[in-house]
Amino acid sequence: MYIIGENIHILSDKVKEALKERNAEFFKSSAIKQVEMGAKCVDLNLGPRKKDWDEVFPWIVKNVESAVDVPLCIDTTNVNGMEAALKNITKAQPILNSTSAEPERLEAIPLLAKQYGAKLIALTMGSSGIPIAADERVAIALETLIPRMMEIDYGMENLIIDPLVLTVSGCQEYCPHLIEAVRTLQYAWDPAPLISVGLSNVSNAVPNEKRPLINRVYLALLMGVGLNMMIADPLDTVQNQVIQWIEEKDTSTPLAQLYNKIAERTEASEEVQSEDFDMADPDQVAIWKTTQILYNKVIYADGYLEQ
Amino acid sequence: MPIEIPKDKWPGSIKTVTIGATAAEGGTRAKTITIGGQNTMPFMHFENPISNTPVIALEIKSRKPEDWSALLAEVWGDAMDDPARWAKMAEDSGADLIVLALTLEDEPADAVAATKAVLEASGLPLIVWGPGQSDIDNELLVAVAEATKGERLVLGLCEDSNYRTIVATAMANDHLVIARTPMDVNLAKQLNILITDMGLPAERILMDPTTGALGYGIEYGYSVMERLRLAALQGDGMTQLPMIVTPGFETWKTKEAKVNEGVPAEWGDWLSRSIHWETLTAVSLLESGADIVVLRHPESVSRIKDAISELMMV
Repeated sequence: MYIIGENIHILSDKVKEALKERNAEFFKSSAIKQVEMGAKCVDLNLGPRKKDWDEVFPWIVKNVESAVDVPLCIDTTNVNGMEAALKNITKAQPILNSTSAEPERLEAIPLLAKQYGAKLIALTMGSSGIPIAADERVAIALETLIPRMMEIDYGMENLIIDPLVLTVSGCQEYCPHLIEAVRTLQYAWDPAPLISVGLSNVSNAVPNEKRPLINRVYLALLMGVGLNMMIADPLDTVQNQVIQWIEEKDTSTPLAQLYNKIAERTEASEEVQSEDFDMADPDQVAIWKTTQILYNKVIYADGYLEQ
Repeated sequence: MPIEIPKDKWPGSIKTVTIGATAAEGGTRAKTITIGGQNTMPFMHFENPISNTPVIALEIKSRKPEDWSALLAEVWGDAMDDPARWAKMAEDSGADLIVLALTLEDEPADAVAATKAVLEASGLPLIVWGPGQSDIDNELLVAVAEATKGERLVLGLCEDSNYRTIVATAMANDHLVIARTPMDVNLAKQLNILITDMGLPAERILMDPTTGALGYGIEYGYSVMERLRLAALQGDGMTQLPMIVTPGFETWKTKEAKVNEGVPAEWGDWLSRSIHWETLTAVSLLESGADIVVLRHPESVSRIKDAISELMMV
């Protein structure tokens, strides 16, 4: 699993504070910690920085590059900010995060990625929003995103498609469709395009203590359809454990076996069945209930585990 | 060629809920009302027989409302000054249930007096709403619940910010509750979980998923109700509660129904337009799974009654 570490994100109060103080040490140590815990790339999301982009983007790139050697993922909607960041990259091939299929974004951002030799994350989102159905998201990739890359002769091996994870709390019907979109997108082009998702979006607006389990179960479902790249928290050791179990087909404990079962069933286009679970084990019951909300079979409620 | 109509097999069904208690059951109602029990989408008789008919409640208030449409004031007349007379008139116009809405001006003693007067005047099962301000709702509804122990009234409204007191008094005094959430399936289910967690059986909860009138968001309300009902039939226990909605309240605040000043002549006759607005809103909501529709105009009651009997014809 190629994890793009998500912890430098402006929605975090600590990040906001550190940026305000231009606390370079904070960002360096966050990047180092993420890489030590397995991140293959570090995402830098400091927002659009409409007023101070020309100072902030070079500043963050220089500081984080001074601490780690991995690629940086420039995560902003501000095209000027993107370019300011790209100009200062000296180490690994960066990732530009992101373009969508909206015409004005698709016009400018792929050109920028090409000019600076960056990989590019492209969202399956058009001007009319994010479609629910898996095939409509695949269609955006096939009919809009990929043709634009062909048009500008952008190396297809550098394109990363993000079919967009939405929250189970409020956009529940999207959850199973995303799984199918990830499955199908791998056949959208030869060679198969890279696919990445923002995993923890699935638990946005969910109470904090409930988020890790939802993320983990969704991860197992997505690994079942071949997901091998995501923006996620590399410091989540339990999540890392689940990745390892599935990648190594490790079935040495009942939970390891169960997470592998979830991935296998999904790979075979099957849903998990109650007989896959030991219902005497409360952990397994919680995982079962979580699969049911992610399949959109049972309506999500904050108290879904207590039901 | 014979055409086979596809049928869904539903693993779940709606809980059966009985409102009101007769003398034999510890109350004073002339009859009780039972709703719920369906294991098919609304009026799909070919799939499964529909056990209970949707019912109509008429809303009255403990004091004459000053902000209701002049059309409602005209049709109810002086009865609006006296909840007992108003309730009797509502019963005579064909309602299956009465909703008594208390007001912010009521003291607990007034609320109890109005409730008792209504119970005296009409033998129909009764729903009592607080005025919609948490502390006052709690104060009034507790007094009413205690004074009417055993009647199996429905107390409302429980919301996620205020439900504990109402649920506790319903449990202690053998009443039911309404759980209202703002047009959101996740929140609707969550509130049902919270209320049943307190120990009130699901058979004593109605859910009000909130709706909008025709032209004012009814499609959102419709979709939420449809989704809740589909989940219930698929076996999601915490969505299997009968639904009560308020097309009367929603309709009579729209400008099309409430007033007739400065509206284009093409809009036609005011009364006729308003009744259409209320009945079309109510019928649409019945089609999305409403078990109780709360109305305000007696003419709408008879039209909805007709609509329900046609929809219930097998």
